[in-house]
Amino acid sequence: MAHLDAHVHVFAKASAEFPREVSPDMPGHAEATVEQLLGQMEKHGVEQAVLVQAGGAAIEHHAYLRRCLVEHPRRFLGIGLVPAGETAPAGHMDRLAGEGGIIGFRLFTLGGPADPLAPMDARTFATYPIWKRAAEKDYVIWLYPRAADAHLVPYLLEMFPQVRVVFNHLMVCPGEGSFSLDEKGRPRIEVPMPPQTRYSTLGLKIGRILANTRGLHPYENVCVHLSGQYAFSKEPWPYRDLAGWHASLHMVMRADRLMWASDFPWIAEDPGYGKLVGVVDELLPGLGQEERAWIMGGTARDFLRFPPSANG
Amino acid sequence: MIQPTPAQRAQFGAEGCLALPQALPAELLAGVQRAFDRCAEEAKPGWLEGVAKGKAPAAYFDLPNPLEREPIFLDLVAHPSYCGLLLDFTGGELLFLWGQFRTLPPSPLSYVGWHYDVERSNPLHLKVQLYLNDVGEDEGAFAYVPGSHLPDAGPYPLVRRLESMPGHRVFYGRAGDALLFNSYGMHTSMVNKTPRPRKSIILIYEQRTPAQVRPERFAALADRLQTPQRRRLFGLE
Repeated sequence: MAHLDAHVHVFAKASAEFPREVSPDMPGHAEATVEQLLGQMEKHGVEQAVLVQAGGAAIEHHAYLRRCLVEHPRRFLGIGLVPAGETAPAGHMDRLAGEGGIIGFRLFTLGGPADPLAPMDARTFATYPIWKRAAEKDYVIWLYPRAADAHLVPYLLEMFPQVRVVFNHLMVCPGEGSFSLDEKGRPRIEVPMPPQTRYSTLGLKIGRILANTRGLHPYENVCVHLSGQYAFSKEPWPYRDLAGWHASLHMVMRADRLMWASDFPWIAEDPGYGKLVGVVDELLPGLGQEERAWIMGGTARDFLRFPPSANG
Repeated sequence: MIQPTPAQRAQFGAEGCLALPQALPAELLAGVQRAFDRCAEEAKPGWLEGVAKGKAPAAYFDLPNPLEREPIFLDLVAHPSYCGLLLDFTGGELLFLWGQFRTLPPSPLSYVGWHYDVERSNPLHLKVQLYLNDVGEDEGAFAYVPGSHLPDAGPYPLVRRLESMPGHRVFYGRAGDALLFNSYGMHTSMVNKTPRPRKSIILIYEQRTPAQVRPERFAALADRLQTPQRRRLFGLE
């Protein structure tokens, strides 16, 4: 079965046609076009992908993403962004999703108490209306929360068991001050691995002895990306220092709740897209053929309800 | 020092866990609670900073260096309510390793699943958990699978919900109660669904072996550990 890349970014040079925010990792002249992505995918047997918005959360910032989704409706599904402080998130979400292709929304913060000992009521969290709308409209929540928000996640998972949630990038929740750009201009996250936030997000005592725990993740509506290794690892590809954490996630989530993703374009040069296609084989060498098929595409295809693949 | 009764010895051997109601007398408990809260208040800003930076878990809050901060905590390590039992179960070769002075915030998700702490190839590993507040249903109580410490125990299923583990027992209790358990066995902290944090102290011991005797571990406490028994318990000699 062909692979499915469950988290990539494409963006055009900043222009009137495709306006976007510029940042040190995405200067105005930079581009990672859908043609570049398709070239890599075809070369390495990847048939479909999830395009994740980058370069701004306003409706107009999604112009390039929407163009790609319209032009390749059977290849791609999209994940949009909601502006911080958006007073009518439901309308924003519906507008983006209404034109087809955008199936969910990415969140970086959750907007609840930073103190885990404070009284908690998920209905008061700033992102509650986004989760509520996701529940009403069957949108997917694409989750990459900060460490300070990790303890809020279970409250939302408990309240919205019907919402499909995809934890990005190995379920790591980056800490304040941990983000920088490496010498290649791509994200670098300094985080202890396995992450301390796992106690809040995974709910299982994983780490010191791999086999000592007897449990599965309590929420069946949650998947985790096997991606972003380049940003967390202290070693070059194949990032062997992360093998233990991959094994832990495999044990707790199981293959049908894990999704391989490349995080293109940040890996396009180092180590190269082809090597990322092989990263799961490197870090989970004991996988059976069926499990590998789930992780490399089956999980995302089922969980995100991709259309039958076809070149176009 | 209280010695185990034959019934306790038999129960510990068969089940791996003993409940010790009111192990801490009221006056001592009150002093420990005050000291715990004092330390927690001082340490909380540092913990929150660590949480925000991703360097400390939000799912539990451990007091830093508690034994160095409050003399009353030191007295807990060799408290007669359970020290005699620990000595008995380890054949008199008891070594204190460390303590976790832990506040457990409420959460729909327990911070640990069913797990054991050490492999059976490890020397006998024992823990004493002291509740500092009453722990009732849905308040993050300690739970253990009786008999799971035995060599022929298991296998145990991969469960999604803690309450699905076959044969487990949840130990509700009052402030001052203690649980003594063999860490080879499967245990967990049940979900705390109440708005109230659960406070407890977990004291960790092992059957003494030369490899685990590290005088540097408690060197900072050396001047307060004056008797040969105390110095031996803390591995200073």
